[in-house]
Amino acid sequence: MRMLGVFEKNERVRHIGHLDIQRAVQRGLRRSGLPVAYSNGFNPHILVTFASALSTGAAGKREIMDVKMAEQVTEQEFLSRMNAAMPPEMQLSSARGVEDKHPALMASLKAGMYEIILREEVQAEQLIPAIDKMMAQEEIQVPRKTKSGIKDVNMKPLIYALRGEGQKIFATLMLTERESCKPAMIIEGLKRAAGLPEEEEVRTLVIRTQLLGERQPGELIPLEEL
Amino acid sequence: MNTMNEKIEAMLEKVQKAPRYTGGEMNTQVKKWEEAPLHFVFCFPDTYEVGMSHLGIKILTGLINDQPWSLCERCFMPWVDMMALMKQEQVPLFSLESRRPLKDFDVVGFTLMYEMSYTNVLAMLEMGGIPIERKEREEADPIVVAGGGCASNPEPISDFIDAFMIGAGEEVMLEVNQVILERKQQGLSREECLKRLAQVEGVYVPALYDAEYHEDGTLKSFAPNCPEAPARVVKRYVDNFDQAYFPTKLAVPYTEVVFDRITLEIMRGCTRGCRFCQAGMLYRPVRERSLETLVKQAETLVEATGYEEISLSSLSSGDYTCLPELIRELMRRMKEKRVSISLPSLRIDSVLKESLEETQQVKKSSLTFAPEAGTQRLRDVINKGVTEEDLIEKARDAFQGGWSSIKLYFMDGLPTETYEDLDGIADLAQKVVAEYFKVPKGERAKGLRVTVSCSTFVPKPHTPFQWAAQDTIPVINDKQEHLREVLKIKGVTFNWHAPHLSYLEACFSRGDRRIGRVLKRAYERGCMLDGWNDQFKFEEWMAAFVDCGLDPAFYANRVRDKDEILPWDFLDCGITKEFLWREKEKSDRAEVTKDCRLGCNACGIQRIKGLCAYADPKRNKAPSPSLVPYASEGGEG
Ligand code: SF4
Repeated sequence: MRMLGVFEKNERVRHIGHLDIQRAVQRGLRRSGLPVAYSNGFNPHILVTFASALSTGAAGKREIMDVKMAEQVTEQEFLSRMNAAMPPEMQLSSARGVEDKHPALMASLKAGMYEIILREEVQAEQLIPAIDKMMAQEEIQVPRKTKSGIKDVNMKPLIYALRGEGQKIFATLMLTERESCKPAMIIEGLKRAAGLPEEEEVRTLVIRTQLLGERQPGELIPLEEL
Repeated sequence: MNTMNEKIEAMLEKVQKAPRYTGGEMNTQVKKWEEAPLHFVFCFPDTYEVGMSHLGIKILTGLINDQPWSLCERCFMPWVDMMALMKQEQVPLFSLESRRPLKDFDVVGFTLMYEMSYTNVLAMLEMGGIPIERKEREEADPIVVAGGGCASNPEPISDFIDAFMIGAGEEVMLEVNQVILERKQQGLSREECLKRLAQVEGVYVPALYDAEYHEDGTLKSFAPNCPEAPARVVKRYVDNFDQAYFPTKLAVPYTEVVFDRITLEIMRGCTRGCRFCQAGMLYRPVRERSLETLVKQAETLVEATGYEEISLSSLSSGDYTCLPELIRELMRRMKEKRVSISLPSLRIDSVLKESLEETQQVKKSSLTFAPEAGTQRLRDVINKGVTEEDLIEKARDAFQGGWSSIKLYFMDGLPTETYEDLDGIADLAQKVVAEYFKVPKGERAKGLRVTVSCSTFVPKPHTPFQWAAQDTIPVINDKQEHLREVLKIKGVTFNWHAPHLSYLEACFSRGDRRIGRVLKRAYERGCMLDGWNDQFKFEEWMAAFVDCGLDPAFYANRVRDKDEILPWDFLDCGITKEFLWREKEKSDRAEVTKDCRLGCNACGIQRIKGLCAYADPKRNKAPSPSLVPYASEGGEG
């Protein structure tokens, strides 16, 4: 069986990179004493994958680990033993047992929901009202780094939803293995729409609140429930 | 106005390696500030990655936090980028856990592992809002304490530390904290508190001692200036090493640190008596942890940390009496958990060798040997009991056993060293290479790599070489040049370091009180993080000596007289000055001293009844020693 564990990467540890988060989860699994499956070979490691890498600097409310178990365990047991074994900064909120043939999370991932907090009030006052203006455009061109340098791309088709409130932006953005829209691109787009100079630095706190999969075309639901 | 926390958050977004400053690792306790009356901040004067690799910091923070009356937070030396931002934003150096400035704590404790971290101590104090010089501190300032290996000559940094703990930190730490808690609760003055601290066994309070000097700069007298301070400070020993405090929860960093694994200290001390080795002199007598204790600790730690590797540590793990049994037992218990064991030693019996190959729990990384000197004569001078035959035999075993990579450690600039001894290094390397080619082609592992590493000898206090001169920089440069020439051997890589850092290390390891001025001056000239190649500013250090009117050669390159009062003479570290001088004279005659397991050499420890198992033959319960020369497994190079 496989266990899908929904866990938090809280603000305190948001600067920890994905590789280190992976290792922390591996070690947490080892500490938990749960019957996890190991890879063969010289340096055996626990068979655990992650639905999506969360970038350094971003916090996550409902990230998902996908653990291959060597024996059956109940969801309750997985949850309580993992929570005893993980630091307060990375606790699990739910767990779901699925069969081995359950599709890989990475392949089913469609979008991510984000809360982008603008640190500076003044900037929020300029950027939040620009949301509607930007979304009204036919195309939203933003600079994006590619192998051949920085190029403008149209990010409009990558945005599922976007709204603002106070100093917060709530965004649902495409996140697949092939194509994705990063929260930083939204900020770049809003800067253009609000007429802010490109070099102005906008300090944000990015929290990914939910990963989404697609039940049927157009219907997004939490990835862990798929 | 931004609050301090917001400023820190903003800074963290800009620095490289923010996790150095954020804490929140598994097994780090965060106690509520109000919960404990005494607030201690453990300061490690180097970066997070270096600090979190030390077992000591984890043991002491655990110990202090385990007391209901004290809490312990951590602080490390920030990297240059962070320091610049802190300065710009006027954010004081803060603790990892509650982000309070150092000056808010009752006790600020430094661990001194190497001399070249001293400028970091000064930097951390200043950034933490505490006057650098102890004389400048006022009633509201924390008490600044320090311990660790370098406390065995505290004088060079004694202008900046209120109290030193000499010897085993676990024992004395809580007593010191008790006194400082009394100060807080009874409203004692700083002075009164320091006087009380001076009465704790193993504590040295520099303010209570005065030093006078002869015209030539040597010490004329060194004595207490008040009745509360003992004339001699006797170091502390661990009462029962086997049962000594051991934290069951060990912090597990998120980011990779220098040593990211479980370290089991299997024994303390060493019986071999190498004359250059300060640890071998200071950590006498040898004490082993029992197999049961170690297995229990290993299991507890694996459960608490989830680490995938255990390494055994001690000065000479190969001498641990039941090493094969220990390794076999650990491997048996750890197999299920997929934990690998790093072998410290090549003292592997044939049975063990087979089980190693079966279990694959041991990695064939490179093996380390430390002959230290190139000829038998010089090895006798330093009392390094390794012969050429031993080394060659071990190399042969290793190559036949499938290893292809061997590291050889040497020192240059040892007392009485000649160019013949340097040629001896090349000769040994050549012979090791030859052993590899003697193994038939199909049977040996591919990719021969013999690495010869040479470090520059630094004479240390409390060793028979404490009177010796270090070679001058030009002399060392010439010797290294020669080594580069003779070590142009196929299959051999030569590693060396420019001697400048070792030169300063030599100044500060045997420095007196006056050299503290140089330290401060160098810090003012921007010296910091000196252990990091790209930060080390040798010229500034030399300029600081000039500014203070002191000559580095006086400390590094001078032979001391037998009768000279040495700055650390007032410390009783177990071994006696008579023993050290005896050893020095034997060294002059290239005469070896036997391993303590073959009989007591009367180092001084025998004065303390019942401490050393080998001092009293009747108490010696250890099985008859098999005095096989050892080698250690690499990875820690
Ligand atoms: S007391 Fe004797 S046996 Fe023990 S360490 Fe000292 S010299 Fe060696």
